[in-house]
Amino acid sequence: MTALFAAGDRRGTIQSVDRAARILRVLGSSPRLGVTEISDRLGIAKATVHGLLRTLEQQELVEQDADNGKYRLGAAMLQLGNSFLDNHELRARSLMWAGSLATRVGEAVRVGVMNGETVLIVHHVFRPDNSVQILEVGASIPWHACALGKAVVAFDPPSRRNALLGANLSPLTGRTQTDPSVLRTELEDVATLGVAVEDQEAVVGEAEIASPVFDHRGDPAGAIGVVGPVERLLPDGPSPELIAAVREAGRGLSRDMGAGRFAARD
Amino acid sequence: MSGPTIRRGGVGSTSSGTFVLDAEFVLRWVVEAAARIDEQRDFLTQLDAAIGDADHGVNMQRGFTAAVATVQSSSDRSPGSLLEEVGKTLIYRVGGAAGPLYGTGFRQIGVTISEAVTPDGEVLLSALRAGLGGIQALGAAAAGDKTMVDAWEPAVAAFQRTLEAGGETEEAARNAAEAANAGVEATLPLQARKGRASYLGSRSIGHQDPGATSTAIIFGALERALRRRP
Repeated sequence: MTALFAAGDRRGTIQSVDRAARILRVLGSSPRLGVTEISDRLGIAKATVHGLLRTLEQQELVEQDADNGKYRLGAAMLQLGNSFLDNHELRARSLMWAGSLATRVGEAVRVGVMNGETVLIVHHVFRPDNSVQILEVGASIPWHACALGKAVVAFDPPSRRNALLGANLSPLTGRTQTDPSVLRTELEDVATLGVAVEDQEAVVGEAEIASPVFDHRGDPAGAIGVVGPVERLLPDGPSPELIAAVREAGRGLSRDMGAGRFAARD
Repeated sequence: MSGPTIRRGGVGSTSSGTFVLDAEFVLRWVVEAAARIDEQRDFLTQLDAAIGDADHGVNMQRGFTAAVATVQSSSDRSPGSLLEEVGKTLIYRVGGAAGPLYGTGFRQIGVTISEAVTPDGEVLLSALRAGLGGIQALGAAAAGDKTMVDAWEPAVAAFQRTLEAGGETEEAARNAAEAANAGVEATLPLQARKGRASYLGSRSIGHQDPGATSTAIIFGALERALRRRP
């Protein structure tokens, strides 16, 4: 929590904007907060917090609860989030592919892009079985613990891949691969196979099979993958049908992204 | 039978040396757990809806109902192998992350009891600790990660402290159940560091962890299973 809401690197930045951004983040972590609570959590004087909140309220980025005077994120935040997704090329182009992949295999589908050392989920199609599921758009998953991340990093330039392998590889489950040399070999296999497999490395009981998506330069733009219960996705390793379905979606989406035949690794 | 002990409980209570860890005890524990999960099903689901798939209550109910049937229909009278069977049933019938985690936990509890010569309170303690170990090996979770470990670990510690202080198995189970409940309360302000909730970011702050809650229910059931002895 402290890292998330810590003051940013001050060089060349505006302190009040940094503080306003931290207020938005702390409000994103709790249903409702009062001025004092925000002041305590961020270590910013109450009067300053109050002024920043009033400014953010004018911009509809925060709202004040009429009953108890506490603050929460405002409606403009949703509009900004939607704009981010609408303007995201991979997401926009993935909607059709993700929907048809989910229907074809009867499981949930996620589309993700690399964001630092994590995969940011930009699209999520629920498993088509009418069960209650939680929307994972906006989720941030360590790259080494999910098939989406491994699918992208396997095709990243060696310098970037090495940097990621040298960074923090903490476990999310007992099965998360945290040894860089084992992970490196696994990435080589992913590059050969064209799909990445994850077996309960992010969440116990869950597996994922993902294919990279390439852009017009032939660089990996993100990945598309099927995610679901391990006993259904990997009863005896991934089924050839499932691999084929994921690979086809990755290729089709790459073509839509402008990747040439070569770049799409046909 | 152990030598004379100071009896702090009422009539009929026994020291940890004479506590009988038998098939009847296993049945009482699993039946109690299933009954309390039935009662708390909607609450567990509601907790899970905030940061999970909203299926924890239903999954646990299905799994423990099946576990009761497993124990009732088994001709095996060995408490260890019965608990191993419970573990296997939970793995297949609970599903999600809780299935493998509780399944491994109960299997480890069963294995430890199977290996013991005279199953007593000390063996139960070792078994509960082995269950925790199995869960941690699978989930890589430590205390403070906002998982079932946050209830299970303090419960085992309280159980151990009570026995070390010369307390009876029943008292140890009561203290374990209390410690598990306190552990659940403590998950509220935490941000999840394991499980799906961990990568959904700070959404988990302010919510009680459903896995820790169901663990507290299981330790509550253990206490009742020990209290209601013939």
